[in-house]
Amino acid sequence: MTSNTGKSITSMQYIFIISGIQVSVSILSLPRDLADAAGTDGWIAIPIGYILSVAAGFIIVKVMQNAPEDTIFDLLSRLMGAWAGKCFALLLGVYFLSFMYDSLNRAILITKDWLLPNTQPYLLMILLLVPTYIVAKHGPQILGRYSEFVFFLSIWIPFIYLFTLENAHGLHLLPLFKEGVLPVLSAVPAMLYPSLGMVTTFILYPHLKNKEKAPINLLISNSLTMLIYLYITIICFVYFSPDEITLYNEPIVSILKSIEFRFIERIEVPFIAFYLFIFSLAWIPSAYIAAFCISWISGKKDVALPLQIFCIVITVSSFFFLPTFNQNDRLGLWIGWLGISIEYVFPLCLLVYIILNKHFQQRTAL
Amino acid sequence: MNVRLLFTLLIICISLTGCSDEITLENAATPLAHGIDLDEHNKFRFYNTVPLFSKTTKKKSQENSGTAYSLRQSKAQQDAFSPGSIQGRNYQVLLIGKRLLQYEDWFPMLDVLFRDARNTVMDRVIAVDSPLSDVFDLNSKDQPMLPILLRGMVETKSKISETYSTTTQELHRQFHEKGITPYIAEVEIVEKKIKLKGSALLNERGKYEVSFGAQETVMLNILQKKAKPGLSLSYRIPDKPNKGPFATDMLSFSAEKIKTKVITSFQNGRFQFDFHIKMTIGLSEHLFPYDVARDAKKLEKQAAALMQAQIENVIKKLQKHQIDPIGLGLYARAFHYKEYKKVKDHWGKAVADATFHVKVDLTIGAMGPVK
Repeated sequence: MTSNTGKSITSMQYIFIISGIQVSVSILSLPRDLADAAGTDGWIAIPIGYILSVAAGFIIVKVMQNAPEDTIFDLLSRLMGAWAGKCFALLLGVYFLSFMYDSLNRAILITKDWLLPNTQPYLLMILLLVPTYIVAKHGPQILGRYSEFVFFLSIWIPFIYLFTLENAHGLHLLPLFKEGVLPVLSAVPAMLYPSLGMVTTFILYPHLKNKEKAPINLLISNSLTMLIYLYITIICFVYFSPDEITLYNEPIVSILKSIEFRFIERIEVPFIAFYLFIFSLAWIPSAYIAAFCISWISGKKDVALPLQIFCIVITVSSFFFLPTFNQNDRLGLWIGWLGISIEYVFPLCLLVYIILNKHFQQRTAL
Repeated sequence: MNVRLLFTLLIICISLTGCSDEITLENAATPLAHGIDLDEHNKFRFYNTVPLFSKTTKKKSQENSGTAYSLRQSKAQQDAFSPGSIQGRNYQVLLIGKRLLQYEDWFPMLDVLFRDARNTVMDRVIAVDSPLSDVFDLNSKDQPMLPILLRGMVETKSKISETYSTTTQELHRQFHEKGITPYIAEVEIVEKKIKLKGSALLNERGKYEVSFGAQETVMLNILQKKAKPGLSLSYRIPDKPNKGPFATDMLSFSAEKIKTKVITSFQNGRFQFDFHIKMTIGLSEHLFPYDVARDAKKLEKQAAALMQAQIENVIKKLQKHQIDPIGLGLYARAFHYKEYKKVKDHWGKAVADATFHVKVDLTIGAMGPVK
């Protein structure tokens, strides 16, 4: 399958798609997860996680440069046979489907907790899936435009958080490395789940307008993600006492409750409603990619049918069962490990295989 | 066809979601103040006051109270007096009775405020040095509605550092942070009127320890680095004569610039905190004749000595009660983490053991329009 000409993604859109998937829902609990592992030193783990994810991103791009016009599945089929491509397509499909389900689930739980405690979750699910279907079925270009649109729409949010600084205590951050380096390193895994998403490159690469700029774009999007994480985490750390921050489930929302304006009370309410845009940056692209994987296996080009099936199955299932907060945490942990193997380990192995393969082919040619 | 079907579904859903979670204003009762205390049998008691929007009632608010086990558990009782359903979404102040403050570990009683996401956490917490029932039943004719009066009282006075405008959220921090003990505003009833007393200082588990008046609270604010320009201080200068019944030895000034420097050290098994306070002041009154233009240095020294003595006195009181509203634990943690870790669970004791040095430098920046 070759790329669809005319449906191409600009560099900026590519940056925002990756950053969107990374930030979205995972930012909510990140400060608490980091504090759980390393106290107020947790923020030091963010740059470390950043270096890891940039390295993984470069490896992914390097792999894709071997097949600039194909998806990863075509490349795998060529290298190892059709079954390898299909297996990986299925794996990636399942991964993104669970990623989508996890973020949808988290968004609904948050909405229920903060905004609509008496509303049935399946109603929220339907409401969230309708725009998901409409955006995702149009493919990468519309995804890119949507991500770009949401990014510029929410560019003012960081400034609101500056209002909390009037109650900030910079002393919370000191001393650095209070328990040594080990706790900081143990906080790095907490950074990996919020960095997942770069593997979308496997699918989006053929659609990129400027392929030679892909590595630099990945670097920019990872840096953007890191800056957002660093900003939010440090704000939470200087506001909440190190002894109390682990008591909050979503410190980034709780902190909003302390902002007072004359013209609006309970400012967190419009915020949660608005955050749904940002959250949707996780599940809309992953819905598309999961659908793409499934349609690739069946050899069709159309993603609408798998998408419809996803939406209907998820909605119907949410009528009977929706994971609770604890179950969702466990699901997130599970996806985190799956994601690490798919986004960090697998590309590295594949790259080594490709290099060795080339090497041997050259030898046999001689 | 498909799209149209989806849109119909969408519209139905939107209207449905709106229905299940709505509450009309007529069905809501929003108390603006709530209070918790113990009665004479040491039973937990709640109080609240709800503004009434009705033409036929003579009073503008309705006060409810009752005995219960906890705040949320008391909701049915609170509702029972009201035509609407009580919603904790707009609390302005939270009053805590002195009788309750005689006990430790009452903070978990406020759990519902944090756990129910719809409750506000920006209500100002105020200790009451009179029976809470008196405060809620006061309905003073020449003071505004209780919640508005109290909120305004602590808001304006905390701006000039004479009390604290501690929010529930901030109280949560003060209770959980091991290196600080809680401090809140305090009021009392004097001649059937509510009067601001200053601040009430609690120990790390919430038991009432000591009250500070306006000027002592200002000192504490300076130590906390919270004091802002505009605060006002008065001292009686010792070597000036009193004439008749008038305190003609009085000097008052307001702060134009305040800088507090805290140096933390650990010596001989105890913490040492050195405070260096630099203030630029503007004179607002001196009832004795004084040539400020020529002899400012002497007056600066005299006032600084008085202020220093008062600050040392404040610190002594804190040490005596083993409390640390200044948040010295934060400094200790930041600069002497190893030593702090050993004592953090009984930080109050460590503060009582610590040595303090205070140095005050005043500079007269302005003497006013008259000589």
